[in-house]
Amino acid sequence: MDLDKLRETAAEVAAREDVKYLIGWKKGSYGYRVAPGFVEEAEGAAGLIFSPLCTANLATYLTLVEKLPLPRGQEPDKRKVALMVKGCDSRAVAQLLVEKGIHRDEVVVIGCPCPGMVDPDLLGEKYPETEEPAEVKWSDDGFIIVRDGEETAVPRDELLAEKCRLCRYPNPVISDIMLGDPVDTWDPAEDEGVSEVEDKDVDGRWAYWQEQFSNCIRCYSCRNVCPLCYCQDCILDRLNPTWVNRSVNFSENTAFNIARAFHLAGRCIECGECERVCPANIPLGKLNRKLAREVRDKYGFEPGLDPEAEPFQASFKPDDPEDFIL
Amino acid sequence: MSAMLLKKEKWPDFVGKLTGKKVWAPQGEGEEMRFAPVNEGEAPDLAYGNTRVPPKQAVFPQTETMFRFQVDGKEIEEPQLDQETVLLGVRPCDARSMAIVDKLFGWDENDPYYFKRRELVTLVGLACSEPGINCFCTSVGGGPAATEGLDLLMTDLGEDYLLEAVTEKGELLLKEAGDILEEAGDDRYKEKEKLAQAAAQKIKRSVDHEGIPEGLPGLWEDPLWQRVSASCLGCGTCTFLCPTCHCFDIQDEVEGFAARRCRMWDSCMFNEYSLHTSGHNPRPSRRERTRNRINHKYSYYVDKFDVIACVGCGRCINLCPVNIDIVEILRQVKEAL
Amino acid sequence: MSANYEPNIVAFLCNWCSYAGADLAGTSRVQYPSNVQIIRVMCTGRVNPLYVVNALQQGADGVLVSGCHPGDCHYMEGNYFARRRLGMLKDLLEFVGVDSRRFHMSWVSASEGHKWKEVVEKTVEDAREAGPFEGFRRRQIDW
Repeated sequence: MDLDKLRETAAEVAAREDVKYLIGWKKGSYGYRVAPGFVEEAEGAAGLIFSPLCTANLATYLTLVEKLPLPRGQEPDKRKVALMVKGCDSRAVAQLLVEKGIHRDEVVVIGCPCPGMVDPDLLGEKYPETEEPAEVKWSDDGFIIVRDGEETAVPRDELLAEKCRLCRYPNPVISDIMLGDPVDTWDPAEDEGVSEVEDKDVDGRWAYWQEQFSNCIRCYSCRNVCPLCYCQDCILDRLNPTWVNRSVNFSENTAFNIARAFHLAGRCIECGECERVCPANIPLGKLNRKLAREVRDKYGFEPGLDPEAEPFQASFKPDDPEDFIL
Repeated sequence: MSAMLLKKEKWPDFVGKLTGKKVWAPQGEGEEMRFAPVNEGEAPDLAYGNTRVPPKQAVFPQTETMFRFQVDGKEIEEPQLDQETVLLGVRPCDARSMAIVDKLFGWDENDPYYFKRRELVTLVGLACSEPGINCFCTSVGGGPAATEGLDLLMTDLGEDYLLEAVTEKGELLLKEAGDILEEAGDDRYKEKEKLAQAAAQKIKRSVDHEGIPEGLPGLWEDPLWQRVSASCLGCGTCTFLCPTCHCFDIQDEVEGFAARRCRMWDSCMFNEYSLHTSGHNPRPSRRERTRNRINHKYSYYVDKFDVIACVGCGRCINLCPVNIDIVEILRQVKEAL
Repeated sequence: MSANYEPNIVAFLCNWCSYAGADLAGTSRVQYPSNVQIIRVMCTGRVNPLYVVNALQQGADGVLVSGCHPGDCHYMEGNYFARRRLGMLKDLLEFVGVDSRRFHMSWVSASEGHKWKEVVEKTVEDAREAGPFEGFRRRQIDW
C-alpha cells in the first residue's frame, strides 16, 4: 500500500471538523512492535504506517473509551472517531453495528485491504528483535524484513499468521474511504489447529485444555482486547452473584475460559487478538474458531458481514438443528 | 563472602543434595517459562533468558488460602506453612524485587503469610550474561550480577559455576553441598567480575530517573497521561507479571457450607480495583490508572521506602499487547518536568 | 469408579411443561431414578449457559435442561433461543473435553410423564457410564 496516500487521507480525515481523532497504527518503541496511534491533528498523521506488523485490531478502542460523567452544563463531544481497519477489523465494526454497540454515524471507517499479516511470535523466533524499531514490508510473494539496515526476503508461507491463513475476508466489508485496490482473496487453509484438538478423544481434549488453562493468569487481556467484549458490567467482575471466582486454579480458569468463549459464540469475527495478547500463550483462537465453525456449518451464519443482520444468539430459526435433543 | 566452584557435570549432584526441600526452577519451553516445582531426581536446565511469570509467586502466590471454615461453625483451619523451598536460577532483578517488596509487607505490621514463606525460601541466583533487549536494571539500582535479595549467587563460567554465598542461608547450602565443590581461585572470581561488566555493557535501555520521584506529583494533570494511556487496554498483564507489584484482594469463596478466605493478586489497571461500594470510582479511566501505576513505582514508593519499586526486568514492556513502554513513558515524564 | 457410584444430576426444568411433566410422573406413580435434583426455572430461555458450567463445578456429574416442545413455549419462543444457545454450549463443552454424556437437553410436555421417566433414565445412565466428574470440581482444590 502507498504510505503517502494513507498519510494524506489520514491527515484529511483528522482535520475534518466532525472528527474527534483518528486511530491508526504507528511504529512501536523497539523491534517489531507496532503501537496504536491516536491522531488528533493533521500533522500527527505523518507517523502512521500500514505494514504486515499491524496485527492489532483497533476496533476495540471504539468501545473501550470510558464515558465519564460530565460537569453540569457541559455537552458531550459528539464528533466521530475515525478508524483504520483491515478486513477482519471491519467485521468487528460491522458486528458492533449489529449489536448497536456503536452507531454508524459515530465512526468513519477507513478500509485497508490486507494482504496478510506476519505472526509476531514466529517472526521474533526466527529473526530476533532488535533495539531499534525494525520494519517489515510486503513484496510480491512474501515479506521483506528490514533490520539494522539489512533486508531479508522471506516467503509468505513461512511467516503468515495463522488467522491470516484461515482468512476469508481480507478486504474490509464496510468502509467509508477505501485505501488502494482490493487484494485478491486466497483459499483459506484447513484449520489444523482445531481439527488437531477435535481428533483427540474426550480425555485427551480435557488433558490438553487443562494443561493450557492452568497457565492462565487471569489478567483478562483476552477480554479487554476483544472488540466484541464490551459489557460495562462483565460477569467476570461481578461479586454478587459470583459467577466465576477470582481465585486462580483449574476449575475457575476452565469456567472462565468457557464463559469467555461462549459469550463470543456467533459473534467472534476471528481477528485472533485474544490469542496474540495472551501472556500465557493459550491457544484461545482454537476455542473461538471451533464455535465459529459450528455456527457456520450448522446454522449457516457468519457474524460481522451485514450490519443489518440479527445477532446470532438473540435470534433463531424454527428449523435450527436439534439432533442433540433427547 | 566465600566463593566456591561447581563443575557443571556435578550440577545434578548439587540439586540432589537439597533433600527435604522443595526445589523450584524455571520450567517450560522458550517464552512460556515460569517457576514450578522440580520433580525429584531431575536437575533443571538453567540456560534461559528470564521467566515470563516472576518468581514472586513462590512467596506471594497468585491465590493463597488464608484459612478455611464452615459457614455454620466457629472453627477455622489454617494452612501449614513449613515446607522449605529453594528457588534455583533466580535472576538478580527478581531477587532484588523481593528485597523491595519485603519493605511493604513488613511496614507497620509484618504480613504473616508473606514472611512465613519468605523465611522458608532460599534464593539461588544466576547472574545474567545475555540481558534481554528491554532490560534496564542498571539504571534503577540493580545489575546483571547484583546480589541484593539473594542468598547465593551463581555465575556461569563456561565449564563451571562460581557460587558465592551472600547470606547465612547461602553459606548453609554451600556447607551442605560439601565436597562436590572446589575452592575457587582469585582468577575465577576476576573472570566473573569481567563477565558481569560485559553483561552490564550489553544493556542498551536506560532510564534517567533523576528528579522524577519528586517531580511526578507536579505532573498530576499533565496531558502526557492522556497521551500514554490512550492505547491502554486496561488488562492486568503489566502488573501481574511485574515482580514488584504486590496488590491483592481478599475474598471468601463458599461452596455449600465449606468456605475459604483467600487472597489473590489484584491489579490497579482494573476498573473494579478502585471502585467504591457507592459506585463512585476515584480512578474512573485508564488515564488515572496508568498515572497511578507509574506514580506508585516511581514516586509513592520512593517517598515511603526510599527505593524505586521497579527493578528494570522489562517484562511489562515485553508483554504489553499494545507496546506501552515504561522507559518511553519515563522519558516523556522527564521531558515534561 | 466404585461399584455403587450414583451420579448426581442437576435438572433445570421449565415451569410450564417439563416441571409439570415431572409432577405428572410423580402423581401417576411412575418410578424414575432419584439422582436428579430439580431446579425450576420459568423458561429454558432463561437458562444461562453458565448455570450448566457452575453446576458441573459444584459437584454435578451431569446436567439436564428440559422445556416445552418447539412451538409450545409459554413465552412463544424462549425454547427456540435455548435450543440455539445450549446447542452451542454442548459443542463447546465437548471441545474442551467434557464428556457429551454429561449434558443433555430434552423437550418434555406437561402430559408426558412417561417421557420424563425415559429422559431421566437416559441421563442417569449416561452420567453413570461417564463416571464421577472430579476434574472440574471446585472442592478438589486444596490450599
